[in-house]
Amino acid sequence: MSDQIIEARGIQKFYGQYHALKAVSLSVGAGEFLALVGPSGCGKTSLLKILAGFEAPSDGSLRIAGQDMTGVPASARPTRMVFQKLALFPHKTVAENIGFPLMLAGKSVAEIRASVGAMLEMMHLKESYLNRYPNQLSGGEQQRVALARALVSKPPVLLLDEPMSALDAKLRKSLQAELKHLHRNMGTSFVHVTHDLEEAMMLADRICVMRAGEVVQVGTPADIYYRPADAFVAGFIGETNLLPATFTRSGNAVRFDCPQLRCTHPLLAATQVSETLTDRSGLLMIRPELLRILEPGESADCLISGRVSEFFVRGGSLQYRVTGEGDTTLILDLPGTMALPLGVGDPVRLGCGTADLFAMRG
Amino acid sequence: MAVEKSWRDKALQLSTLPLLVVFGTFFLVPLVMTAVLSFQGTQYYRLVWNWDLQIWSDVFSQRHYWSIMLRTLGMACVATFLCVAFALPVAYALVNRLQDWADHITLLIVFAFLTDAVLKTFGWVLFLDRTGVLNGVLEALGMGKAATDILFTPYATMIGMVYNLLPYTIFTIALSMARLDRDLVLAAYDAGASRWRALREVTLPLAMPGIVAGGVLVFVLSLGVFLEPKVMGGGTSPMAAELIRQSFETRVNWPLGAALTLVVIVIGAISLAAFGGLALRASRKRGTQA
Repeated sequence: MSDQIIEARGIQKFYGQYHALKAVSLSVGAGEFLALVGPSGCGKTSLLKILAGFEAPSDGSLRIAGQDMTGVPASARPTRMVFQKLALFPHKTVAENIGFPLMLAGKSVAEIRASVGAMLEMMHLKESYLNRYPNQLSGGEQQRVALARALVSKPPVLLLDEPMSALDAKLRKSLQAELKHLHRNMGTSFVHVTHDLEEAMMLADRICVMRAGEVVQVGTPADIYYRPADAFVAGFIGETNLLPATFTRSGNAVRFDCPQLRCTHPLLAATQVSETLTDRSGLLMIRPELLRILEPGESADCLISGRVSEFFVRGGSLQYRVTGEGDTTLILDLPGTMALPLGVGDPVRLGCGTADLFAMRG
Repeated sequence: MAVEKSWRDKALQLSTLPLLVVFGTFFLVPLVMTAVLSFQGTQYYRLVWNWDLQIWSDVFSQRHYWSIMLRTLGMACVATFLCVAFALPVAYALVNRLQDWADHITLLIVFAFLTDAVLKTFGWVLFLDRTGVLNGVLEALGMGKAATDILFTPYATMIGMVYNLLPYTIFTIALSMARLDRDLVLAAYDAGASRWRALREVTLPLAMPGIVAGGVLVFVLSLGVFLEPKVMGGGTSPMAAELIRQSFETRVNWPLGAALTLVVIVIGAISLAAFGGLALRASRKRGTQA
C-alpha cells in the first residue's frame, strides 16, 4: 500500500547489553488504529518511544508521513503522544495545557481559544474547567484533557502509551468507546500500546502482538483470536483449548490426527493452518465458544466425549470444564441459561465443525 | 488505634516540652534581652539603664551605620542573584546531562562544602594575592605584573561569599529538578517545544520552589557573613556582622550592638515572610492545599 503513514524496518534497540527490540518491522496505514500488545518488557513501549522520537533506534529505518525520521527530534515529528501517567503540566491551567502545542506553533490567541473550545466540546469537558488546574480534575477528566492536548493540533499520528491502565474498569470502558468514536471522526492514525489484549481487540483495526523484543503476529482482531500464530498469542486472550496433534500435507489441505478428537473428515483447508506450522507435530486450537453440547443421537464433524468436572456461571455466559479421553481438560463457553444443562460428573458428548479448528506451531 | 493528634494530647505536650524549653531559654529570652538592651545607653564602657531611643536614632541617622546596613543588604542581593544564576546551569547539568557522573560531582561539591570555611577563604587569599597564583598565571600569559588587584576589595568579598554559599543553591535547585517528572519535559518536546522552550515553560516553573528556597537560604546567610569581608575584603568595607562584633567587643557598646542585631534579624524575617508568602500563593494557585 502506498498510503502508509508509519514504515518501520528492521528496528533494533539495545540498552547496554539488553536487546530490547530485535529487527522489528511494522507499518501503519493512514487513518488506521493499530494496537501494540504484549506482556511487560516485550518492547512495545520502547517501540513507541522510538516512534515518538524520545529514543533513537540502534539500527533500522523509520519513515513517518513519507519522511525519514533519522535525527528528527520529537518536537519536529508529526506525532503526538498521550503518556501513561498523562504528563499534564501541573502549573498550567486546562486551557493552557490543551493550547500548549498551538502556543508553541505561534498561533494567535484567538485561534488558540477557538481550537481549545472545539476540543473541549469534542471531549465533553465543561467550559468552567478551562481555568482549573489538572489536579482539580478527576482521573477521567484528566484523561480527556491529555487527549485534547494531544489532538488539538490535528496530528497525523497519535501515540497512546497505556493511558487507561490507571482507571477503574467502568471508566475505562466508557473512555474506550470514546476513543474509538474519536478515531472514526478524526482520521488520525492511532498507535495504542496496551498489555490488555481485550482492549486491543475492542479498539484496533489491526493488532501487533509482541514478545521479547520481536513481533509475533500482526493481524486483524479476528486473525489474532481465531488464527493465532502460536500458543503464546492464542493464550494471550481468554482461555482456549489446544490439543497436541500430528499433521501431514495432502495437496492443498492438511490431514490431522488428534487422539482426543474423532473426526469424520480430518482435513484442514490451507486457511486453517498457520504459516508457523512447519513440523509434523503441532497444536490444534478450538475456541471454547465454538464447542457445543450434543444431544443424544446428534452428530458433528468432530466429537469428544468426557465428563463434566466443573462449571462456572458467569452471568451472561456459562463455562463448563470437561475431562475427555487421556485426562485432557476442555473448556466450553455457552450462552447463559436459567436452567443448567448439565451437572458435575455427568457424561457429555461435545462437538464442533472441522471448519472451526485451527492448526499452529507447537 | 489511631493516635489523637491534638495539642491537648498530654503525651505530645510532654514530648515537645524539652524542645520548647530549649527554644524558650536560648532563643526567645535572649531575643527579648537584646530588644530590651537596645533601649539603654552606655557611659565609660558601662551599661546605663536609661530607657530611651538614643541608640535607635543613632542607628538610622548616622551615615556610618545605615550605609553598612545598606551595603550588607546590597551584597546579600547580589550574592543571592549570582548564586542562583551559577547554580541553575550546574543543577540542570547535574540532573539532566551528567547522570553517569552526578554522584562523583556531588561528592566533590560536598567535600568542598564541608571543608573548613576559614581554610577555603585563606586559600582564596593565596590565589588572588598580588603575587598569588592567579597573577602568576596572568603574568606567564604576558599580561604584566599584578594584572588583577582585587584582593581586599568588595569584589573579593563577593567571590568568597558566592564560593562559600553556592552549594546551598546547587543542592536545593538540583533536588527540585530531580523530583520533576521526566515525562513532563518529554511531553513539552512532543508538543513541539525546543530545549529552550521546554526549559522555560516546564522545567524552570516547576523547579521554582527549589530556586526560591535556595535563594532565601543564601540571602539570609549572606546577611550574616563575617569571614569573607574580614579576610578577603580586608576589613575595608565591613558588613553588618563585623559592625555588630565591633560594637560588642571593641567599643563595648552593647545597646548599639543589640540594635544593629535586631535590624539584621528584621531584614531577614521580612524577606523570609515575603518569599514564604510568594511560595504559598504559587501553591494555592495550583490548587494544592497545604
